Amino acid sequence: MSLSPFSSSLSSPFAHSKHSIRALMLKVQLAALPALLVHIYLFGFGIVMQWLLALATLFVVEYTLLKLRKRPVLPFITDMSALITITGLVFCIPPGAPWWIIVSGTAFALIFGKHIYGGLGYNPFNPAMLGYAFLLISFPVQMTQWTLPAEVANHYITFSDAFYLIFTGVIPNVSVDIITSATPLGKLQTELSQGISAIESLAHTMPVAHDGYSSFHVIHLLFDLNSWEWLNIAFLIGGLWLLFTRSIRWQYPVGFLSSLGLMAFIFHSIDPSTYPPVDFILLSGGTMLAAFFIITDPVTSSTTPIGRFIFAFGIGVLVYTIRTWGIFPDGIAFAILLMNITVPLIDQYTQPRVYGHK
Amino acid sequence: MSKAPCNPSWFHTILHSILHPLVRASARVIAYLYPDAKRWQHRFNGGVYPQYHKSLSLQHPIKETLIPKQLILPIKLSAHQKIDLKVSVGDSVQKNQLLMAASKANKHGVIVPIHAPTSGIITAIKHTPLTHPSGLDALSIILEPDGKNQSLENALNINGQPPGEPQALKTILLNAGIVGLGGAGFPTYAKIPATQGQIQTLIINGAECEPFITCDDLLMQTQAAEVIQGAIMVAHALGTPKIVCAIESNKPAAIQAISHAAQHTIVTVQEVETVYPMGGEKQLLQELTGIEIPAKTHAIDSGLLVFNVATCAAIFKAVTQGEPLTQRLVTVTGLGLKIPYNMHALIGTPFSDLTELAQPKTPINYPLIMGGPMMGFKVKTNQVPVIKTTNCILANPPEPEQLTMPCIRCGECMEACPINLLPQQLFWHSQAHEFEKVEKLNVFDCIECGCCSYVCPSRIPLVQYYRHAKSAIKEQHAEQQAVELAKQRHEFRLARIEREKQERDARLKAKKEAVKQRKANAPEKSQPSKKSSATAAARAAAAKRAAASQKATGSSNTSQPSRASAREKAIETAKKQAAAQVGSKNTTNKDPNKNSKATAAKKAAAMAAAKRRAKQNQEHTDQEASTVPSSTQAPNSESNPKAPQAPTSAEEKRKKAIEAAKKRAAERKARQTQQETH
Amino acid sequence: MLSAIVIFVGLAVVFGLLLGYAAVRFKVEGNPVAKQIDDILPQTQCGQCGYPGCKPYAEALANEEADVNLCIPGGNEVMILISEITGLEPKPLDESAAEPKPKETAFIDEDVCIGCVLCIKECPVDAIVGATKLMHTVIQSECTGCEKCVPVCPVDCIEMRPPKPSLDTWQWPEPQNRPTMEEKKHE
Repeated sequence: MSLSPFSSSLSSPFAHSKHSIRALMLKVQLAALPALLVHIYLFGFGIVMQWLLALATLFVVEYTLLKLRKRPVLPFITDMSALITITGLVFCIPPGAPWWIIVSGTAFALIFGKHIYGGLGYNPFNPAMLGYAFLLISFPVQMTQWTLPAEVANHYITFSDAFYLIFTGVIPNVSVDIITSATPLGKLQTELSQGISAIESLAHTMPVAHDGYSSFHVIHLLFDLNSWEWLNIAFLIGGLWLLFTRSIRWQYPVGFLSSLGLMAFIFHSIDPSTYPPVDFILLSGGTMLAAFFIITDPVTSSTTPIGRFIFAFGIGVLVYTIRTWGIFPDGIAFAILLMNITVPLIDQYTQPRVYGHK
Repeated sequence: MSKAPCNPSWFHTILHSILHPLVRASARVIAYLYPDAKRWQHRFNGGVYPQYHKSLSLQHPIKETLIPKQLILPIKLSAHQKIDLKVSVGDSVQKNQLLMAASKANKHGVIVPIHAPTSGIITAIKHTPLTHPSGLDALSIILEPDGKNQSLENALNINGQPPGEPQALKTILLNAGIVGLGGAGFPTYAKIPATQGQIQTLIINGAECEPFITCDDLLMQTQAAEVIQGAIMVAHALGTPKIVCAIESNKPAAIQAISHAAQHTIVTVQEVETVYPMGGEKQLLQELTGIEIPAKTHAIDSGLLVFNVATCAAIFKAVTQGEPLTQRLVTVTGLGLKIPYNMHALIGTPFSDLTELAQPKTPINYPLIMGGPMMGFKVKTNQVPVIKTTNCILANPPEPEQLTMPCIRCGECMEACPINLLPQQLFWHSQAHEFEKVEKLNVFDCIECGCCSYVCPSRIPLVQYYRHAKSAIKEQHAEQQAVELAKQRHEFRLARIEREKQERDARLKAKKEAVKQRKANAPEKSQPSKKSSATAAARAAAAKRAAASQKATGSSNTSQPSRASAREKAIETAKKQAAAQVGSKNTTNKDPNKNSKATAAKKAAAMAAAKRRAKQNQEHTDQEASTVPSSTQAPNSESNPKAPQAPTSAEEKRKKAIEAAKKRAAERKARQTQQETH
Repeated sequence: MLSAIVIFVGLAVVFGLLLGYAAVRFKVEGNPVAKQIDDILPQTQCGQCGYPGCKPYAEALANEEADVNLCIPGGNEVMILISEITGLEPKPLDESAAEPKPKETAFIDEDVCIGCVLCIKECPVDAIVGATKLMHTVIQSECTGCEKCVPVCPVDCIEMRPPKPSLDTWQWPEPQNRPTMEEKKHE
């Protein structure tokens, strides 16, 4: 920690650690890098295109809103908090979704998730999740058609492919139907509702290469993991690094994953044919993304140590509930938004004991 | 011992008393992977690890005491304290001579005495800026040293025997002017208990946790025996069986010196973790004993007493040599100085003289900081003097200000807070001026250590918010008290007026009856006799009232020659003003004086639509006029005030009174114009 | 049809009983309105409202005989509190009173004072001491700053002064560089 004892503030302390919002946000951004690479490897360059679109929207929206709100533009646009928001959002939407999905989602997240409440630090709801919920409700078809992993679709989406797909909806010489399908979670839910048991359904979700041997297939055979699980593991690695650098608090991932795992364990033990096993639940959908990157947003979560755990635990319970019995394939966004509402209550009742007080 | 101390939870007991060494060792290892693990090494919550910069001022030995051109000795006092100066301007004094006496029988706190730090001449006693964040002026003794440094031996007149009971020790400490030298500056006299056996453990605080400061470290290295012996004397007087000297692990030389001096004594030396704020009284006690001092009590209530090492050394000097506290070890350091140093500086030495000695890298055109960077304050001018609590003078050149960002509720502050407060919620409510909530969140438990501001990624000046909130809350409480007082006094006044009115009514009734009786006796009587009869009746009704009226008559007859010249002048101006007022016809707010009363009364009748307040004033005036006894026709009678009169309730009565007043006023005016022409 | 009527009547009876019981069981023995208002008034007893003191004004407000905007020392803050307690519509204060005035106390120029005791009679809290033809002085700690004594002085020797800053009253200033302030406000 460096000491900068020269700040011209009136009152002590005149020293400061090197902590800053910007550094914190940059670390979070950096930790998402492994997942981004895995994502590109698995699903092609769609995400890069989406990310660039979101970035452009971010600059336009932030600049306009800050000007309208008469706030200094430079410090707030460079505080990187909006970057975290769009990163969270970009990972959640299908890489092949049309361009207006990410643009409207980003704009909604930043305007209605942040600026309308008074900007950074004042928003009660997680902006990324608010944007995602908005998209999921408004454009359910586009939001649930996920690009198939490259080895399944047998076509790797290059940058130019992504460009065509996102802006025109078609890729020259490739049928779009081949490369998109529902996510494993969505598929599971549909098939469960059609009377197919969880075990059968999961057997289908395992990647099957169309042409015998590919390098992807080898890796998958080695570790017995599907592409979603790989993505989740990448998030886990980035998240652990964040934990060690104290950029996020341990209560979030521990509370969230433990409750989600516990719910999955209980129900899987009761009826394995209906309820998927623990490892599938923990490594599917946006579980790890949520555990380390989304619910850890300090602005919208509880501030007390116990409160943070309760907050994360509650999200885990809600995620499982919505995934299993709700109509949406993945309930993370709704679970987080619901728990955001309870934050003031949690804060109120989990205040730590002050020194010298009973 | 009003309250039992908070016992540490079972978790902490196991963690720290049984597994503590293990936890410490493993925490140190884990800290390489997970930096937050460092905080597991100590027992209080949070804490921070700033860069210490202590080596700056440790490189050089203690510098020879500087005798400056002038010493400024502020008499810091609150508005109500009475001071007892022993010298006046022009006196020449010797070192250690008493300049201002102590006073303990003061309801506004103990006043510690001031002694001359060196020999010289008192050149002035005037207002100078205080060594205080406010920079307010206070009365100060200005001493010009003669350079001879002649001193009084045994200035405190002690017998050299260590006191065997607390009262004797307290007397010496008060006379020596010793205060807590660690920072708070609370008079040591008032800190120690009056009876023996109340303190189980005396703790010597050698945990100098503020960055940059090394004065306690050097003191322990150079005067270890004095520190230890001073503490033993206190323990002896208080009947305390145990002394613990706690020193932070980053001062190995001090630990060695103190351990050496503490051999074969009741003092045990304990090394504590280097973490800020380990030197805080509550934090150190928690670290050493695991006990939390209950809220709103002091360490003494839990049988613990904490003294700074410098205080112990000062006690030793006072008790053994009869030497008052006139100098202290001060660290002069900072990134803006070439040769930082420590010095036994005389109390009253201007800061700028000391920093000049350290060869500033650039001219010091920025405010110096008294104390360390975490808890110190910027002084308003760099010429303020060293006071007893000045442990460090810090010269750090200014740096461009960082923009304050909004709070993102990251909770860093909460994790750093050694008191386990909720800094961001305190901030939230302080910013919104919801001081009741701030108080409820225990802002008064905040020790202002600065950990929260230090770690805040948004660079919010949290401590300043709390300081502002604290002073605002204090003012609110004072205001509430004032309001309550005003209410009481107003109600009392109303009750008094009501009582007086009743008394007066009773008198009037008696008077009327007397007049009636007389009328019945002698129906056609002349004016003078009527007057005398009225007076007689009044006397019969209430002797007091009659006496007052007589006195009024008497004094008005003899008043002219006995008036002071100032008063005459005042009356003259008053007359002039009255004339001006009559001329401008503007009497709404400026009450007419006695000369223009009649005019004012007329105007009051005319300006019925004028402000209600003005009318009220007028009514009061009218009532005053009406209360002049109608029988006494003495001149200037309204300038002879009576006890406050009750307002006449009946409207008719008042009208009559107004008429009477008008008549009388006209008469008076005529008389006065006559007087003026004379 | 009949069953519906029975059910609803039954419900009405049950809820009515419940409400009645709650009204008796949880009855709040509230402060009389006048007392509540009196508690929030600044107690300067200045009479600027047209009533002889704070309590009479509070009583007049409780009887809805007075406007909510008459308390000048209290300013807008007190006006809003009054309208909250009484349920009356908030009204703006006179322009002259809209600017909140810092607290001041009365000082008597003792060289000029002629000892007329007019101010002593006027003071609503008996904060002026003195006697006939002897100079008067104001007990600073008890002066409410109502300014009633200023106009009555025949020689204009009373003036209102802000209190002297001292260590007892000094306040840490509030930070100026507050987060999310308007653009570059502090520059």
